[in-house]
Amino acid sequence: MNKQKTPAGNDPIIDVRRICKTYPGPVIALDDFSITVDRGEVLVVIGPSGSGKSTFLRCLNGLEEVDSGEIIIDGIPLDEDEKKRLQIRREVGMVFQSFNLFPHLTVRKNIDLAQRLVRKKSRIEALEFSLHLLDQVGLADMADRYPHQLSGGQQQRVAIARALAMMPAVMLFDEATSALDPEMIGEVLDVMRGLARRGMTMVVVTHEMGFAREVSDRIAFMEEGRLVEEGCGEVFFSHPERLRTKEFLRQIL
Amino acid sequence: MLRTRRNKNIALDIFLLALIFSAAGYLGYRVSIQLHYTWRWSLIWQYLFRFDHEQHRFVANYLILGLLTTLRLSIYACFPALLIGLFMALMRTSRSLFRQLLGRTYIELMRNLPPLVIIFLVYFFLADQITPLLGIDSFIENISPEAGYWLNVLVAPPSSFSPFLSAVLTLAVFEGAYIAEILRGGIESVNRGQWEAAHALGLTRGQSMRHIILPQTFRQVLPPLAGQFISLIKDSSIVSVISIQELTYQGTQLMASTYMTIEVWLLVALMYFVLTFPCSMLIGGIERSFASDSA
Repeated sequence: MNKQKTPAGNDPIIDVRRICKTYPGPVIALDDFSITVDRGEVLVVIGPSGSGKSTFLRCLNGLEEVDSGEIIIDGIPLDEDEKKRLQIRREVGMVFQSFNLFPHLTVRKNIDLAQRLVRKKSRIEALEFSLHLLDQVGLADMADRYPHQLSGGQQQRVAIARALAMMPAVMLFDEATSALDPEMIGEVLDVMRGLARRGMTMVVVTHEMGFAREVSDRIAFMEEGRLVEEGCGEVFFSHPERLRTKEFLRQIL
Repeated sequence: MLRTRRNKNIALDIFLLALIFSAAGYLGYRVSIQLHYTWRWSLIWQYLFRFDHEQHRFVANYLILGLLTTLRLSIYACFPALLIGLFMALMRTSRSLFRQLLGRTYIELMRNLPPLVIIFLVYFFLADQITPLLGIDSFIENISPEAGYWLNVLVAPPSSFSPFLSAVLTLAVFEGAYIAEILRGGIESVNRGQWEAAHALGLTRGQSMRHIILPQTFRQVLPPLAGQFISLIKDSSIVSVISIQELTYQGTQLMASTYMTIEVWLLVALMYFVLTFPCSMLIGGIERSFASDSA
């Protein structure tokens, strides 16, 4: 299901320029890393664990601060300024490996909360949109349950609906299916597939290579905080250019 | 599972019980031959309730009045204590170093000074300055008899309203530090992912704290918080030194005037226990219902 997309560099919504990030240790998580993502593009980031994929994702909405370099999202530079940071976070939705639903709130209130606090919607507006989103992820009848009453796959779908409630321009998926039992991975990938089909800009860190091959417009392979290689789905998997990429793909495929 | 294990050690239990009873018996025997103490249990009960000849009915006497004052003191002190505790816990977990230091200083001061010293400090320095500032004394003087009656029932007699307020303030200032530490522990124990999820949705730090972190904190710290309330009831006895007529104060007065030392203190101890034990049971209940909730 290859969809029509604009050629790279046309209309970047995410522009990452030479970012570096070191954790105390020191562990180099990102080393002079640059990449752009176009509007409506699905970028899948793969690489061995500890290669900086998650750190990259977390830098994109300011959950981690970069040591140097620039991140520009939809024209807004992500810097020290708290207001800009909040503004960017509104435009960027994030789905976590461990769901991170709010356990003290019902499913519907999980989705309502930010709409009301951040988007300042009325109770009715928020409620309607929440139910619409729950319907979209196939959980309309779970609105009044609490997160711990749902299965892992259901929880992750609620988490996706919660992120979508902010009507973000970009969605980040940080190993969204890694904590799930195998039989639940499919339902979450289905929801992500649907989003991609509807033209959502997505940056996806995943180990699901089948999904990566099928849904991605572009694949980036990272190792030791650097971008080793990037390319379009089929070509990337069948004819990787770099030796290191070949080795990695041989290991996991 | 526990029950069957317990039954196995029945021989040891009987032995222990016998040991305790013989020790108690020996102590009682020593007391009876050595103490030369005339027990006057029959006389002590009138200090709980006495018969009022004018009203032709029983009315509460010193000890019951003291118990009620202890109860009022504890209940009123727990609200400002909670506020102070919450405020200081927020300071302590703030991102600003200055606020962290402020919270830290308060908590360390309160936890490392004897409560008795704090009582005197607050009572003689702080409360003496604050009550005139708020105009409480003149407010009390001009109060209507009706309002005076309710003040007496709900808080304290108008004449001792100002010291009662100081006592409440002192207890709150003191217990607030402990509550702050309980809340800080609770705030820090909330999973980091909750902060991240809140931030990722664009909530500010304040909104995240108020809507995501604190509700989970309170759920978690309810048992230790309730435990601190029991401590508050017990600690309220120290305000007897500033002549608040609560249970311990009434006990000392009664002892001085009747010399029924042992009867008085045994009864006072029992009265405290009657107040605190149900609270302990309640906490046990809360903890059990929480445990079954999360299971």
